[in-house]
Amino acid sequence: MHRPFNQREKNKMRLLLPILALLMAAPLVAKEELVTLPERDSVQLTIYNSEDLTLVRERRRLTFKQGDNRIQFSWANTLIDPTSVEFEPVGDEAKKAIEVRDTSYPAESHEMLIWTVSCNQPAGYEVQISYFTSGISWSAEYSGIVDATEDNVDLTAYVTVHNHSGEEYENASVRLVVGVIHLVERIVDLAQPGESTGRAWRRGDVEEMERALEDAKDEVNEDGMARPKEIQKAGLSEYYIYTVGGTETIPNGWSKRLRSFEVKGVPLKTVYRLEPDKFGWAFTKVLEFKNDEEHKLGKEPLPDGLLRLYRDAGEGRLSFMGALASKYIPKNEEVKVNVGPDAECTLKEKRTSLKKKDLVFNQWSQLVGYTTVEMFELEVKNFRARDVEVEIHRSMAGDFDFASEDKWEKHDADTQKIHFTLKAGSERKLALTVTTRQGTNSRK
Amino acid sequence: MNKRLIFSLAGAALVASVVGISQPDTAEARIKLATLPDKEAVVVRFDHPNQVLVEEERTISLQKGLNTVDYSWAGTNIDKGSIVFRAVDVNSKVEILSTSYPPGEAALTWSISSPDARSEKFRLSYLMANIQRETDYRAIVSNDEKSLTFRHYFKIRNWSGGTFDSADFITRDGKTFEKGLDQGEAKRVLVNKWEKVSLTKEYVYDQYRSSEGKVMTDYVLKNTKEMGLGAIPLEYGKVRIYQDDGKGTTAFTGEDWGQFTPIGDDMRLNIGIAQDIKVELKKMVNDVENRRGNVYDTNEVDEYEIKNFKDSEAELILVLRVQGEWEMQKDSEGYTSYERIDNETIKFKVKCPAKGTPIKLKFHYKRLNNW
Repeated sequence: MHRPFNQREKNKMRLLLPILALLMAAPLVAKEELVTLPERDSVQLTIYNSEDLTLVRERRRLTFKQGDNRIQFSWANTLIDPTSVEFEPVGDEAKKAIEVRDTSYPAESHEMLIWTVSCNQPAGYEVQISYFTSGISWSAEYSGIVDATEDNVDLTAYVTVHNHSGEEYENASVRLVVGVIHLVERIVDLAQPGESTGRAWRRGDVEEMERALEDAKDEVNEDGMARPKEIQKAGLSEYYIYTVGGTETIPNGWSKRLRSFEVKGVPLKTVYRLEPDKFGWAFTKVLEFKNDEEHKLGKEPLPDGLLRLYRDAGEGRLSFMGALASKYIPKNEEVKVNVGPDAECTLKEKRTSLKKKDLVFNQWSQLVGYTTVEMFELEVKNFRARDVEVEIHRSMAGDFDFASEDKWEKHDADTQKIHFTLKAGSERKLALTVTTRQGTNSRK
Repeated sequence: MNKRLIFSLAGAALVASVVGISQPDTAEARIKLATLPDKEAVVVRFDHPNQVLVEEERTISLQKGLNTVDYSWAGTNIDKGSIVFRAVDVNSKVEILSTSYPPGEAALTWSISSPDARSEKFRLSYLMANIQRETDYRAIVSNDEKSLTFRHYFKIRNWSGGTFDSADFITRDGKTFEKGLDQGEAKRVLVNKWEKVSLTKEYVYDQYRSSEGKVMTDYVLKNTKEMGLGAIPLEYGKVRIYQDDGKGTTAFTGEDWGQFTPIGDDMRLNIGIAQDIKVELKKMVNDVENRRGNVYDTNEVDEYEIKNFKDSEAELILVLRVQGEWEMQKDSEGYTSYERIDNETIKFKVKCPAKGTPIKLKFHYKRLNNW
């Protein structure tokens, strides 16, 4: 699944072993060097969605000679933070045999460094090079197919990884971090030559996170047929880590969408709401479920992302219901999707009466206080062939009394709410009286 | 096993689609051996108030193992994120593993796993922008203005960049019509026709609608089954009104915007001014009373003198408004009925005798607690 892409060679990160440059302390006089290009053996990406940050850990097998070895690492046209690049031997043997003596940043290039590595036991060793890069991101998306009766939704979650880092990471194992981390400087700024002022992030934070993770598992092939990759989820501190099964290759400029999970038949509730705080002034249809076990979910928080809802229009066909830019939904939190006004369930409100009473005058016979008594009528009609739930929030201002024979309850200091079921094809009228004390009548 | 299948929607979308097999990792252009899959069904749905969903079916030949299917839509207005790609058979063993998006192209690539070599029918659903829709109506009113034939038209214009050879277009209320539609082409289709719809003709005096006090002629259609409608909520749209002239032809008598009308509500259409009914308003009493400090009440009498110059009696509806706290006084007179619509609005019905005989509506009210 590779397309040719032109920058492939130009942007390639290189790890060079200058074979002839043997003199350890010799100044870089000659520019002619014979080099080998060791391949990457494996690469692992840990991608954050709250910041433009990815931790890359790659492993390569290098052959070291006795004494000092010079290793050049360059990253032209990529978005790597030079202050974050680290070199580390892998395994006890390698740790005993090799050690980084110094790191030099040649004056002629801002996108290169040279490690001098001393070796006391010549052999091939595995080393890990890690660094932060910007330009790789991921996002979540959801797609829901609501059944014809609006009682259930088949929910599919996706994660999409976007690679604009300038580098192709072949066969990378991918981890996605859900959560908001703290950075003091942006990696993309640090990647600019001359911009680096210091370390962006405590490496320990990332490593702590890394240690808690298992290695990614390869996809399961029971019958020789590939299945959508399993994305494993695990909580860590304030974060959640998604591990994509197997490895992925995402060329520079490409995005790749993978299925995170699919749950069929999540029970759904339809509520018609007038809640100006949340859904605006229109009487809107809201589809609701909860990110909990009762709703076949609740195994993990749902990262923020666009949720698109379709309705089953019969014969497997779809009809578009609406889209919602969903915020991060913790476990056990409710999800409410506003699919907009619906002509099949309507609400009309009118003020049927206004009276003023308890007028108060001051010593100069000027009006300083009065009380208004307003009556309102709300008419809710359900044209649908099924019962619907209705919730109406009604806010008042000032020093008011609220009276109604309907079963309203207090939502907050200024808001009353009522929730009821409206039978198919029926209507209901609500009457309420709001008495508001103004001026000196007000006790507030 | 990594055969590459390509079907594309380049340029003349939806007409030419290509399924091809190519080498996956060639350096420059992808070599394609292409066949043209038959497109079995295209459905264009307008049931969302401002989005258009297109669905199409394609049968794709898959190899055993991993298959790569390209889909591109250069030059068309497909919303990439909205694309849903599923096997039509819900029990299909075929799995869609991942979706990849190349840079700078209106295209994507699916990685599909198949248990064996087979032909599988897929359904592709996506939102498409720039397919405009419009609703309009044509009413033929009977000569006696008691009923009408109401025709509901749906007009679509295609600026999406795509071309529909033959598609089922489904309106918001579920009506289906089959049509072809080229890029830039428009079509207007009769989707509903209701005969013998009951009609109420009203003469209305309402200063909110005519500040000069002219009397409006309205037709009122009740969107209910009893009145011959009530099948669907009526969409917003222009209504052109013609009247049977009793001689086998019709005359255009006016047009108005029909507001969105849920089932059970009225659609009120103004067809023009009734010049044969004149209303003159005179303020007969305008007193201040019951002063308390800076607070006072008013005592007001508005007199409406109405003349109907028609040859027959007519009923006039006067929609009058008074702001704030007010009460109508018992000696108001000259009406057959009244209704306080809400606190600010009162509606009187007045019988107006024929041939210009004047009749007076006395509207006596007190506005209370003004300052």
